[in-house]
Amino acid sequence: MADQRSLWDQVEPEADPEPMPAPRPAPVRATPRILRVTDLNRRVRGLLDADAVLADVWVEGEVSQPSFPGSGHCFFTLKDANSQLRAALFREELARAVVRPAHGMNVIIHGRVRAYEPQGTYQLYVDSITPAGAGDLHARYEALRAELAAAGLFDEGKRRQVPRWPRRIGVVTSPQGAVWRDIGNVLRRRYPLVQLVLSSTAVQGAAAAPAIVRALQRLYAQPGIDTIILARGGGSLEDLWGFNDERVVRAVAGSPVPIIVGVGHESDTTLADFAADLRAPTPSAAAELATPDGTQLPTILNRLRDRASAALLARADQRRRFLDTEGRALARLAPDIGAARQRTSDLLDRGWRAVGDRLERRRLLLEASGDGLRTLSPLATLERGYAVARTGDGRILRDPTAVAAGDALQVVVARGTVDARVERTRAGGTEDLLS
Amino acid sequence: MIDDAKLAVLTDEELARHPFDELVAALQRTVQGLEAGNVGLEESIELYKQGLRLHAACEARLREAELTITELGRRGASPDD
Repeated sequence: MADQRSLWDQVEPEADPEPMPAPRPAPVRATPRILRVTDLNRRVRGLLDADAVLADVWVEGEVSQPSFPGSGHCFFTLKDANSQLRAALFREELARAVVRPAHGMNVIIHGRVRAYEPQGTYQLYVDSITPAGAGDLHARYEALRAELAAAGLFDEGKRRQVPRWPRRIGVVTSPQGAVWRDIGNVLRRRYPLVQLVLSSTAVQGAAAAPAIVRALQRLYAQPGIDTIILARGGGSLEDLWGFNDERVVRAVAGSPVPIIVGVGHESDTTLADFAADLRAPTPSAAAELATPDGTQLPTILNRLRDRASAALLARADQRRRFLDTEGRALARLAPDIGAARQRTSDLLDRGWRAVGDRLERRRLLLEASGDGLRTLSPLATLERGYAVARTGDGRILRDPTAVAAGDALQVVVARGTVDARVERTRAGGTEDLLS
Repeated sequence: MIDDAKLAVLTDEELARHPFDELVAALQRTVQGLEAGNVGLEESIELYKQGLRLHAACEARLREAELTITELGRRGASPDD
């Protein structure tokens, strides 16, 4: 075995096999044809390559004595209870493999059987290896999906909104290859204001799942990460198997910040996708979903500025209209000087007139009073024919008994005085005077 | 979060230190304040000036933006390394 393995270590993937020599009918010869070893091995190889079953075969068995030489390939023996078969798993397929072959491991292998001419052996060239016993990958995928869904890891209700304006985005992916480059390109074009934090990881092979979990946890320990993107390019179910690993799914579900999973192509859905806050169809789409469209930002900003301008203009216009209205109101409230003047003038006129009238009345009254006074004057009475009789001692005579016959009287009339003597006295009889 | 009350006294340099999204948010609040119309004309003019400053700060930030990338430890690097 040890010798074989050391020889196998030198085995490299072969170029396409030479075309199989066209089979021809064996010529009838008297003497047997003698083949060289090389020719014989080539003939065997041609037979194997022509077999459709051996070119695309599934085989189940137990891994025995795997070796991992420095070339990066893996060689082992696949056996069952009665038989064994040499198997080669080259570096590229080993990297994609879901499991790393281990001694005693039961596996299901897909590959093709070919002859290895230099050694005259045939072996199974493995292109896919998965653990046997747990059913095929699809069955395991569905079983795990049901289990984790029941555990609440995929609940719609726990999905968080991805921040609209992230400042730091953490990316878990392999820095090799197109995915990381695509994410960088999308963000450069779309929102270069963001800080990108790469937490690199293997994304395929048996070591991918724990590596992804470690890379996620490194990011979880970072402060100030707003959004995380977990990304990987497309591939077969085996290629993407790390994203169906329960440890990875649980790590995604436990993210302290919103996490976007963008694995494979549109049609690839891994269990990590279900556990994410947001599922992106591709890694580039994940980068787009994680950021605002920066190409729209100048437009958005200008629109905000225009709104500010419009608001200010409206405010100014409103103020002007207000002032106009106020001005009119003030004008209405202001005193009407002309009218006031008019009123004042009218009042003055009326005042003057009133005073004038009053003076006039006073004058008329005075005049009337003068007439009255004159009427009351004894001279006027005398003028009307009355006379005043005074006794000798000058008293006005009102009672006939105050004098006796022979007494001297002085009778005053309107234009002079008459000295007279009393003839006789008589009481009464004044009524005649008025008749 | 930018304190709106202090926005008026922030220098352009101080504004430039705030994250872009805070500047946009402050600009949005400023515009909304203007549109609400419950401030006087003088204050409206101040808000407008403030909005122009924020707009200019945002534009400058966009103009000068360059994606920065940092990388955490490489222990989980791809096996293709």
